[in-house]
Amino acid sequence: MKEIIAIIRPSKMNATKKSLDELNIPSVTAAPVSGRGHQRGLNPILTGIEISKDALLKGHITGMKFVPKRMLIIVAKDEDVDVIVDAIVKSNKTGYIGDGKIFICPTDNALRIRTNETGDVAL
Amino acid sequence: MKMIRAIVRPETADNVADGLAESGFYSMTKMPVFGRGKQKGLTVGNTHYDELPKTLIIIVVEDKSVDEVLKIIQYKAYTGSEGDGKIFISPVEQVRTVRTGSNEL
Repeated sequence: MKEIIAIIRPSKMNATKKSLDELNIPSVTAAPVSGRGHQRGLNPILTGIEISKDALLKGHITGMKFVPKRMLIIVAKDEDVDVIVDAIVKSNKTGYIGDGKIFICPTDNALRIRTNETGDVAL
Repeated sequence: MKMIRAIVRPETADNVADGLAESGFYSMTKMPVFGRGKQKGLTVGNTHYDELPKTLIIIVVEDKSVDEVLKIIQYKAYTGSEGDGKIFISPVEQVRTVRTGSNEL
């Protein structure tokens, strides 16, 4: 059993949910988070993001230290992990910075509260 | 690779983020959470606050950097009174960057 933690763009949420639905893996926990990666947020100097002239005139060139993101937590069977990761990558790839990261962590057990089932059945 | 989850005071979260960035750990995710610890919340006068606002900071680093990150978080989040927070470390097996598909941090 593995826990997949994916940090993606909020605007790609629907596309991701749809592609996971097609794989018949509908269970997902999502939370709004803010984060940054190698590019240190949306830093106009370091990342070379194009800024409109209006913003420059107003002096709004400070960028963003943390960028709003959505965190998805999916717990899945070992054999499903690769398929899920590929689906998330496929539906989130835009080629621009900030597409997100996926972490795969080991998980020992799961328990469904309603029925007391444990293990893979509980997922 | 290890995932470090630090639950810190919201007012020290910026300090922690800046401190980590100074040492080269720019990448992190943070989210507002509510929680309580050993002291079962906080009582001020007649009011009991069961869940206190905290900030959860998530960082994934290579094994060798764990000690350094812990030291920075502890130093930056320390006030000395109850409720400074906790740090949890858990293993990460694999990582994937969506844009490039690389398996490195």
